[in-house]
Amino acid sequence: MAQQEFIIQRYNPDTDESYEESFNVDVQPGQTVLDSLNAIKWEQDGTLSFRMSCRHAICGSCAMKVNGQSMLSCQTQVDAAAERGDPIRVGPQGNQHVIKDLVVDVEKFLLQFERAETWLEPYEDQDPPEREYRQKVEEFDHWSHASTCIHCGACYSDCTVAAVDENFLGPAALAKAYRFVMDSRDSKREERLQFLSEEQGGIWDCTRCYMCVQACPKDVLPMDAIMELRTLAIEAGHVNNHGVRHHKGFMSGVRKRGRLDEMMLPVQSVGIGRLLTGNLAAHKEMMDYTPGAIRLLKSRKLLTIAQRHGANAEGREQIERIFEEVEAEKHHHDVDAEAFGAEFETAIGGH
Amino acid sequence: MLQHDVLIVGSGLAGMRAALEVSSDPTLDVAILSKVHPLRSHSGAAQGGIAASLGNSAEDSWDLHMFDTVKGGDYLVDQDAAEVLTREGPENIFELEHMGCAFSRDDEGRVAQRRFGGHTAPRACYAADRTGHAVLTVLFEQLLRRGVKVYSEWYALDLVVKDNVCQGLVAYDILSGQIEAISAKAVMFGTGGYGRAFRVTTNAFASTGDGVVMAYRAGIPLEDMEFVQFHPTGLQGSGILLSEAARGEGAHIVNSDGFRFMENYAPGRMELAPRDIVARAEQSEIEAGRGVTALRDSVFMDLRPIGEERIRYALPSVLHLARDFAGIDPLEAPVPIQPTAHYSMGGIPCDINGQVRIKDLDGAPEITGFFAAGEASCVSVHGANRLGTNSLLEAVVMGRRAGRGILDVVHDLEPTSIDEGDMANAVGEVDHFLSASGTEKVGQIRAELRDTMMDKCGVFRDDAELKECLSEVKDYQERFKNVSIDDHGSTFNTDLLDAIELGHMLEYSEVITVGAIARQESRGGHARRDFPDRDDENWHRHTLAYRPQDGEDGPRLEYCAVNMEPKFREPFPLQERTY
Repeated sequence: MAQQEFIIQRYNPDTDESYEESFNVDVQPGQTVLDSLNAIKWEQDGTLSFRMSCRHAICGSCAMKVNGQSMLSCQTQVDAAAERGDPIRVGPQGNQHVIKDLVVDVEKFLLQFERAETWLEPYEDQDPPEREYRQKVEEFDHWSHASTCIHCGACYSDCTVAAVDENFLGPAALAKAYRFVMDSRDSKREERLQFLSEEQGGIWDCTRCYMCVQACPKDVLPMDAIMELRTLAIEAGHVNNHGVRHHKGFMSGVRKRGRLDEMMLPVQSVGIGRLLTGNLAAHKEMMDYTPGAIRLLKSRKLLTIAQRHGANAEGREQIERIFEEVEAEKHHHDVDAEAFGAEFETAIGGH
Repeated sequence: MLQHDVLIVGSGLAGMRAALEVSSDPTLDVAILSKVHPLRSHSGAAQGGIAASLGNSAEDSWDLHMFDTVKGGDYLVDQDAAEVLTREGPENIFELEHMGCAFSRDDEGRVAQRRFGGHTAPRACYAADRTGHAVLTVLFEQLLRRGVKVYSEWYALDLVVKDNVCQGLVAYDILSGQIEAISAKAVMFGTGGYGRAFRVTTNAFASTGDGVVMAYRAGIPLEDMEFVQFHPTGLQGSGILLSEAARGEGAHIVNSDGFRFMENYAPGRMELAPRDIVARAEQSEIEAGRGVTALRDSVFMDLRPIGEERIRYALPSVLHLARDFAGIDPLEAPVPIQPTAHYSMGGIPCDINGQVRIKDLDGAPEITGFFAAGEASCVSVHGANRLGTNSLLEAVVMGRRAGRGILDVVHDLEPTSIDEGDMANAVGEVDHFLSASGTEKVGQIRAELRDTMMDKCGVFRDDAELKECLSEVKDYQERFKNVSIDDHGSTFNTDLLDAIELGHMLEYSEVITVGAIARQESRGGHARRDFPDRDDENWHRHTLAYRPQDGEDGPRLEYCAVNMEPKFREPFPLQERTY
């Protein structure tokens, strides 16, 4: 048996005090961080508060920060969390208001699911079948990862966008929205894609930092789901929004010049058409960019017109080839998927 | 005083399914109250499947399912209830599927089904090995869609019943520390099981039998509490569940000689015999010195015969659990397992409409406006031993029926009320712990209780050990009066809740033990070394345990008949139970 030091970030709501407190715990091989917190609570200080229930990584209660990263404390072995001799730091989840010690107010996180209406909306113009809806194994396998979410909040806690934007729907709610977009039993695919494209805090606000995928204790892969939603939204024609214009401007700059064109990007994101037609909101959006642009210019992060020459001819040719290859691959993929669908329909007798 | 037409306590499958049913009547004000957020409920931990005779993989019928259930429960099953469970199974599955439940699919796109212990057909519908999670999630989603009010992280302290009429509840808001009365014309308990009193258990920390004890304290007897299921495949030490789906998919169980010992206990079914039989076989092997690991307290489950690809696809959670919680990779090595307290067959007596009913010899007086469903209830579809995948089915089918049972009567029920006097017990309990200065500690007594129950009221039982068990439990009850806690605050005081929960555990542990001492036979999950045979003549009946009144030393036991009157077929007559 070895001793392990835990430094716990505490908060006492009665006195409004925040402080760190150190505890030493005897640990056995295989002991988890949650076991250790319980040992502290039951043997040293009963006032230490945290949520827990199932203790095997399915109820989602005990997500917290261990050495700065969100994870389920029940699933985290002490040995894996600590270098020999180093203390383990435990704190509450991020991006949420702390109620007491390691207990945070999860209301804001859970509210995002309601905003995104992440529940099945059945078809109203037709009765469900007498038995189950048929779903291909491949269809189920395609989205089932996103249905494994245990709503622990680890992704939201570590999300770099949620940290600065209260409106961001966040990785978990977006992944769940994806699951319903992909589920053939849902009648609101179109409405969902539109909402997710246009809503402030929707799919285009993700910065692709990958923290959510890293924090997720299950196989949800939230960021992958968000990226797939973007593709689906564009395919469905939801292109007249800031996110898509930004994306297209980004791509066209790279394709044309072989590099990102920071000068043009804001104009393209806001929409050249909107600006030319004198759309007031668009001009206001442009104005919003100004202070940031000035700061970038000052710190030489924004290229001047003279510097915007980009890649040479050979480089551009290579870039063009990359674009063409990606487009060809995507075409093959679509053809394969269609052929498979037809085969399946035949196999089940066109149900 | 807060007020609703219908108040559902517990937010697992039974509670949420009932709430969904009740919320179909827009004139009714329904609320759910739960000590954990609904998505944290322990139903979500169910792994392997939910049974129904869909017949997707092989021919099947509800009669066959019913027979398996009755036999699996060692004929203590109420046959009217088993009939309802199995007949209504398929439509309930289709309903969940229509709500968007993420069921795994077969090659034709139907709900996939696999084999499970004690079932003669492959009838476990599943969502990989996270079936409970899939069903729990979909029910919560649909409740959100309906906008049902949820008291999340509210702890129910006391059930108020006056003259056999339920008035409502006294509850504690965990966030604020406020105690509130909530009156309702109808209250339903879907508060889950009581496995937490055992050292080795699959149960969540939350599974402390709160609802069962609240009913008991309100004067309602508890039924068949001595029947506790030990699941044969808990991870050694922690008891964390490894799904029976592993065996359904083809895992072997072997002893220290590498022998598949089920050959000697249930040659016809091998590893897929019902849980009570496999658990006893394991315990016998361990006691005969054929256990594995340094402690010799477990046997091996070997998943490798299933094949890597199928394990990864169909049993991802089992794979992760073994790796994360035992440090063993089932693709490389066998996993040490042991019997682990898993399911509570006993509970609050109720009929097939969820109506709580005292099944005693003078007819069946009911508790007006009080309903129960799921593991907290004893309807009894599982009798002396539950078959795997029947618990999720029970929670959904009986939750829906309880919801309908409430809809049938609630418009005719009078408004109820709770006054200060009715709140006195709950207020007194909280005040007592917040001001107590005793020397005993909750954690210490709880650890001792769990050892006692595991070692003396476990897989095998006998008179001498059970009597020791009872005397130790009573000793803990005495010591508990002298307990104090550290946290005297009003915000998120989990120290206080731990103490209240231990009080519940001590109370129902006594009931389990007293029932076990009295039942001098072996049936299903209750195995007496000193009475190894089933005794239908004397014991084909349900236990009812009443809380002691003044002057009584312990629970008063009465017995009532097992229902043998299914509506749509002949009853299954008692037979010897072999596999």
